[in-house]
Amino acid sequence: MLTDREILSTLEMLQNEHLDVRTVTLGINLLDCASHDLNRLKDNIYNKISTLAGSLVSVCERVGEKYGIPVVNKRISVSPIAVVAGPFSSSQMIAIAHTLNKAAEDVGVDFIGGFTALVEKGIAKSDRALIDAIPEALAETERVCASVNVASTRAGINMDAVYLMGRKIKRAASLSAKRDGIACAKLCVFANIPQDIPFMAGAYLGIGEADAVINVGVSGPGVVKKAVERALEANPHMDLGRISELIKRTAYKVTRVGELIGREVADQLDIRFGVADLSLAPTPNVGDSVGEIFQSLGLLSIGVPGTTAALALINDAVKKGGAFASSHVGGLSGSFVPVSEDLNISQAAADGHLTIEKLEAITSVCSVGLDMVAIPGDTSDDTIAAIIADEMAIGVINKKTTATRLIPVPGKKAGDSAYFGGLLGQSVIMPVNNARGTNAFIRLGGRIPAPIQSLTN
Amino acid sequence: MSKAVISILGPDRPGIIAAVTRILFEQACNIENVSQTILQSEFSGIFIVAIPQGLDIRVLHGHLYDGLSPLNLHVFVKRLGTEAGPGFDVRNSEPFVITTKGPDRKGLVAAITEIIARYGANVTNLQAVFKGGDDPADNIMIYEVDIPNDIDAGALYGDLRGKAAELSLDISIQHRKIFEAINRI
Repeated sequence: MLTDREILSTLEMLQNEHLDVRTVTLGINLLDCASHDLNRLKDNIYNKISTLAGSLVSVCERVGEKYGIPVVNKRISVSPIAVVAGPFSSSQMIAIAHTLNKAAEDVGVDFIGGFTALVEKGIAKSDRALIDAIPEALAETERVCASVNVASTRAGINMDAVYLMGRKIKRAASLSAKRDGIACAKLCVFANIPQDIPFMAGAYLGIGEADAVINVGVSGPGVVKKAVERALEANPHMDLGRISELIKRTAYKVTRVGELIGREVADQLDIRFGVADLSLAPTPNVGDSVGEIFQSLGLLSIGVPGTTAALALINDAVKKGGAFASSHVGGLSGSFVPVSEDLNISQAAADGHLTIEKLEAITSVCSVGLDMVAIPGDTSDDTIAAIIADEMAIGVINKKTTATRLIPVPGKKAGDSAYFGGLLGQSVIMPVNNARGTNAFIRLGGRIPAPIQSLTN
Repeated sequence: MSKAVISILGPDRPGIIAAVTRILFEQACNIENVSQTILQSEFSGIFIVAIPQGLDIRVLHGHLYDGLSPLNLHVFVKRLGTEAGPGFDVRNSEPFVITTKGPDRKGLVAAITEIIARYGANVTNLQAVFKGGDDPADNIMIYEVDIPNDIDAGALYGDLRGKAAELSLDISIQHRKIFEAINRI
């Protein structure tokens, strides 16, 4: 017999604290679609996605209804297209992006990830073709997401790729200038990219994965915030050790929801369950914000001194609770701090409490990185690449995933507003140090070697 | 050995269960199941006991009546029947939890359970608190219900949601597993 407290506290999380399953992402291996003939490859890709994902949306909705837990997003990740479409040119890669977009549209998912190249050690011909195709592919499609892994702890940082990405980001922005450079919101540059991320825009299905897999992204910043607020209201002198314990327990509950829904969807689709990604992912809604948690913990705003320590506590507690709740944890698994997608973080940037430098600093203790950061449209290729390089260095040296999703908003300057709409939100444009300058260091290119794994101070 | 069902009802006070079980012990009855609850100030308990051969059920009732009347407790005793009732096939059903919140008025439980019964679903536990007034948190019904797999669940949900809307109730219908997953290790 359930107790009324168990039932009512669960309903409270669902109805007032935005508890949901943020995404169920079907990973589809496209390697068996390979062909030297572009039309055949496109047909194979379309058919495989349609067959495997045809009932994804309806099954997610049915399972969501059964448990009273909304599955907010249903998405698809695919094998890296730079590998699947090895023989093809840049313009042919763009055609493949259109096929992915059509398949996503027809099965009813809002995003499809995997327009991806893995170039941490070197750029192969097909990788270059894909990277060259990214601006057009993202500007001409609505649902395709791209990612490029330019660094890893084992390989170091491919600075040629970093510089190249600085240029491609600028071009993608210019091609979608009328929509404030929205193409860049669908492009992540990574260090140590995981193979099983369910969240966009970084999702792709790794080469070591099965033919099809269900990965789940849980969320719940609102649940954590309310739990902290309730506890501090009951005991204003609660210390941080006990707050950590509280967040851990809350993360456990949130993750159990994702695990339950993910497994049931996987069972019904007869596809293996992959991982639960334990991330606190906000949306641009009041009460569904990571930034608000910092205020609940007593900080004036995310970005003020104390932010890194608070985030370290939150992130660690989320991982501990989540790891206990799920038998398979993966993906990014950490707190997201996407500026435009979180009303509170966006406001902190507008108020001047949060700078790019502070965002970079907190990346050392959380995933993912400089996420959905709008910067002046005239920021130089060099400076964009240099910001990426700094972010990659944090990931490579600290053996963790880091990423950037930078949006140089065409025609706008620091302090202006950028509007992306929907889950992508809106944000003030953040000032960038040496925005228009050149950077000879970045242009030197080559590869920054993989770091030593001892002498760890 | 036959079994009896004993139901006790009366104002709550310390010592009720001690008094009941002492009498059962003295009559060599073996308790197999007990469930008791207190609603506001009223105690209610139901006991299933194995009774020794030779103990007449009316005699057992007499001992209980004599011992419990001074405590203002009402006693009902019946033999546990072996006759099969219409029954409910738990194996071909799924456990759900239906929760409603909303303004108190007469007939809420009757309105909801009429629909549940019409679809052949079985209420296994009901907790309801009506403090009156319009604060939804003060007026809550929680039904644990086994819903047969072979009924049109969509129609059941539709009827429940329609009735809830009519009564200005917020209703949630969720599989029981979600509550277990979140709250229990």
